Amino acid sequence: MMYRLLARSAARFYARHPWQLVLAIAGISLGVAVYVGVELANDSARRAFDLSTSVMRGQTTHRLLPVGGRIAEEVYAELILERRARAAAPVVESVVALGSRGGPRYALLGIDPVEEIGFREYSGFVPGQDADFEVLIATPATVLLPESAIAALGVEVGARITLVAAGEAHEVEVVGTVAALGTADSEPPVIADLSTAQELLGITGWLDRIDLVLTAEQSSDLAAAPPPGTSLVVAGSESLPLTEMTRAFRTNLSALGLLALVVGMFLVYATISFAVVQRRGMIGLLRSLGARRRSLLATFLVEALAIGLIGTLIGLVLGHVLADGLIGLVLRTIGDLAFAATLNAVEPSSAIYVRGAALGLSATALAAFIPALEAARSEPDVALSRARLERTTRTHSRLAAWLALPLLALAGALLAAGGEGLIVAFAALFLVLCAGAMLVPAATAALMRAFVPAARHGGIALLMAVRGVSASLSRTGVAAAALAVAVATVVGITLMIASFRASLVAWLDTTLTADVYLSADASDSGDAFVPERLAALAALPEVRALSLSRVVRLPTRFGELPLRAATPGPEGFGLDFVAGSAEQATARLRSSASLLVAEPMAFRFGLEPGDAVELPTPSGTAVFEVVGVFRDYSTAGSALFMELDTYRRHWGDLRLTGVGVHLARDVETAQGVAAVRAALADDAAIRLRSTESIERLSLTVFDRTFEITEVLRILAAVVAFLGVLSASLAIQLERTRELAILRAIGFSRRDLGILVLTQTGLLGLAAGVAAIPIGGVLAALLVHVINRRSFGWSMDLVITPGPAMVGVVLAVAAALLAGVYPAVRASRTNLDAALRDE
Amino acid sequence: MSVELRHVSKAYAGQPVLSDANLEVRDGELLVILGRSGSGKSTLLKLIGGLDTPDAGAVVHAGRDLSAMNDTERTRFRRQSLGFVFQFFNLIPTLTVAENIRLPLALNGCAEAPADARIASLLQTLALHECAARFPEELSGGEQQRVALARALAHGPRLILADEPTGNLDSETAEQVLALLDKTCRDSGTTLIVATHSNDVAGIADRVLRIRNAALEAAR
Repeated sequence: MMYRLLARSAARFYARHPWQLVLAIAGISLGVAVYVGVELANDSARRAFDLSTSVMRGQTTHRLLPVGGRIAEEVYAELILERRARAAAPVVESVVALGSRGGPRYALLGIDPVEEIGFREYSGFVPGQDADFEVLIATPATVLLPESAIAALGVEVGARITLVAAGEAHEVEVVGTVAALGTADSEPPVIADLSTAQELLGITGWLDRIDLVLTAEQSSDLAAAPPPGTSLVVAGSESLPLTEMTRAFRTNLSALGLLALVVGMFLVYATISFAVVQRRGMIGLLRSLGARRRSLLATFLVEALAIGLIGTLIGLVLGHVLADGLIGLVLRTIGDLAFAATLNAVEPSSAIYVRGAALGLSATALAAFIPALEAARSEPDVALSRARLERTTRTHSRLAAWLALPLLALAGALLAAGGEGLIVAFAALFLVLCAGAMLVPAATAALMRAFVPAARHGGIALLMAVRGVSASLSRTGVAAAALAVAVATVVGITLMIASFRASLVAWLDTTLTADVYLSADASDSGDAFVPERLAALAALPEVRALSLSRVVRLPTRFGELPLRAATPGPEGFGLDFVAGSAEQATARLRSSASLLVAEPMAFRFGLEPGDAVELPTPSGTAVFEVVGVFRDYSTAGSALFMELDTYRRHWGDLRLTGVGVHLARDVETAQGVAAVRAALADDAAIRLRSTESIERLSLTVFDRTFEITEVLRILAAVVAFLGVLSASLAIQLERTRELAILRAIGFSRRDLGILVLTQTGLLGLAAGVAAIPIGGVLAALLVHVINRRSFGWSMDLVITPGPAMVGVVLAVAAALLAGVYPAVRASRTNLDAALRDE
Repeated sequence: MSVELRHVSKAYAGQPVLSDANLEVRDGELLVILGRSGSGKSTLLKLIGGLDTPDAGAVVHAGRDLSAMNDTERTRFRRQSLGFVFQFFNLIPTLTVAENIRLPLALNGCAEAPADARIASLLQTLALHECAARFPEELSGGEQQRVALARALAHGPRLILADEPTGNLDSETAEQVLALLDKTCRDSGTTLIVATHSNDVAGIADRVLRIRNAALEAAR
């Protein structure tokens, strides 16, 4: 009976204050929507990533890789006949362009279809219904095309198309299709018979790898004594760094999604708090009549959960819609990080909806618990007195500010003791945010106190606005905290992105010492940069010098890793050292068996100068000393670096994959590019890029990577805006009589509107100012801890006034915008109604 | 003539509160309007104060019909010519006593120095000088009503409207407040209209009217 009456009373309360109900529901639904949206997008990205790696891997347990160069076909015969491998599939792989030289690029997989059947069961790809393997084997220059390529080129099975491989254009016949896996998946490769692929790439008699299905015993035997010029690695190790990187990226996104939920919780907390304080008269009366604390606690919790349920359900639907937009962004970013090919969306998992619902309801219950407890603990007289409520709030705000200090200490302790774990880092970050939020109400009150002397000179209305903020701390404190957390997030992420961008620009500046870069695919036959061509380039009057490089993938105990070997240019190697002496390391590189390690790899495997790295060479395992660690932001770049002569001495591989052209000082880039292009005589195997275009592309990819954070920043700002709107409306509602009195004694409608707007503007200002230090700490954590632990990248924290100013402006603008409707309502205060109960 | 009501009628939800009321109040007159709760005396004050508009008839102040004024003009009129005293004091909780009294002066553009002098004088007159820097919540009911009276008098209005000014006070404090109302209004020549249900208040009046069955009639 009691509960029914209380429930009826609560329902009528919200019926009379529908905006309050709408804002509470909006808070939780936005939080849930962002969380679910991000998780759905992440899950899709994970599946796409896993599928794309499995597409190329199939059921393979191990891979036999060449140690510099390629594997002779005889090795394959030896594996089958002498080593009795259970199953082995020779593979040739490369990247080809379809239709024309500038056409869409696809992976080309050259396989032996006879071996594939029963071994992979085509699990590495799904042949289309019309795929004709007999024709593929028997007829030269035939391929199976991905269905998406068929559509993109506008051709049909049976058509002849141009395929550009190793810089040469070939005409091939399409004899079938490769299907997409399921409804959506990563892009499948172009499939050709092994001999066709070898012919297309000009590597007849050679293989890029041999995929194997080995028993434990076979693998240990083969690892101990691999055929000459080869090394055995566990399948999948080549994508390990990328797997870790994309997982870290997804973890970051999940954390941002949870952050939105936390900001949403503030809104729920604020709304339920307002609902409690607005009904303090009723609560006091119920307590006077003998209502038990437990009943009141249960009533307010059930009320919050009902709101949470509605908000969560709406959030799940919104999250699904949001995911549609986010999936594209996440996949594109992961595509930028990991693949040359474009990835498509996949079906999300339903478990995420369940998790989103559970989180939404838990967040609501958690957010509502404190105000519900406050309601339940109310003494009858306290519940009836607003003045005492505000006094209690002021005491609580001071207490919360003190309690924030141990939270900050705990965050510091977690970072100090938590090793390199990412979850611990995020836990510390959330603790910092919570501590910041707890500091905000007291900081707001202090700031307003500091404003009072100045406000006295600004007129009585300004003084009222300033005093109004601190006098209504039970409402303004929570709203300011919610706004400050949201703005601090924006400031923190903006500072982090600005720092990262500045570091990237500086790194590109250091690294790209040449003016023009020429590159050939690593899988090309390797004769793109023949000595005659290099000599012709070096002889150009526009060219000052050339720097040569070779990128190869080496099987190591850390997995299959890219090694870049290069000669220095006139300005040196263009490396930014983060460990080891640059001068000593450069000198050692030229004279001894030494190498450098890229920072992400050094971080991941704990390598530092003085350590030894074993690498397989054609003449056996060689030991190289790590003489330095260099900064490397390129996700698909090199993990190891050594002098080209050292590489050639050990591997006997004279091929090149890249040439840096250093132009004469008085030559314009465009003029130099034209001269180099003319010297190359339109060799399609060589790609030419100016430093400017590489920088531009790098920054474009960078900006694109962070587009998703833009979406999250906007959503956080919307939630914060709703928080201020909710608080402003609550304050305005409570001040109806006060506003009516002001109207009665001569305030105009405009005066009242300005008063309300000034008050919300001040609230925004307080939140914005408080958000600067919180955002700064957040940025420092993101830069020095989260990014480092996620990607192994170190960068300099660049604190510029811009993001802080933007934060304050954003906070004030959001608050002013949120104040418009309450101001309009205030200016329309019905004097008669407001004073009727006089 | 200070205030004039000409055939004023007002109804709420079809229920007449005032029917064809006529009234003339002289400058400096102290008028008490008696009536039971819900009789319409507060409505009468709101009509006189321009906080509400009559369904029929006219409320005329110094020859000007309030109904003919727009909202801005009525606001300016209230700001310059009226002072209000309410039953629940209705002080601004975020302003100190001195600042509450300053409010109408600031609204009327009074300069700082004369405003300070006027506030000091009112604080002295109403025995509030020790409370100047305190906030309303720190005052007793009687002190709050004295502040409300000071605020109503601060800008020297022609007319003060007091709605149950002693309704929330104990009898002793009520007597003190009434005496102050009487003295300050007579000293300054301000017209005072008090709406009350208490016959005790009628003691200060030059004239007493009663509202009964939506009609305004002389009681004394």
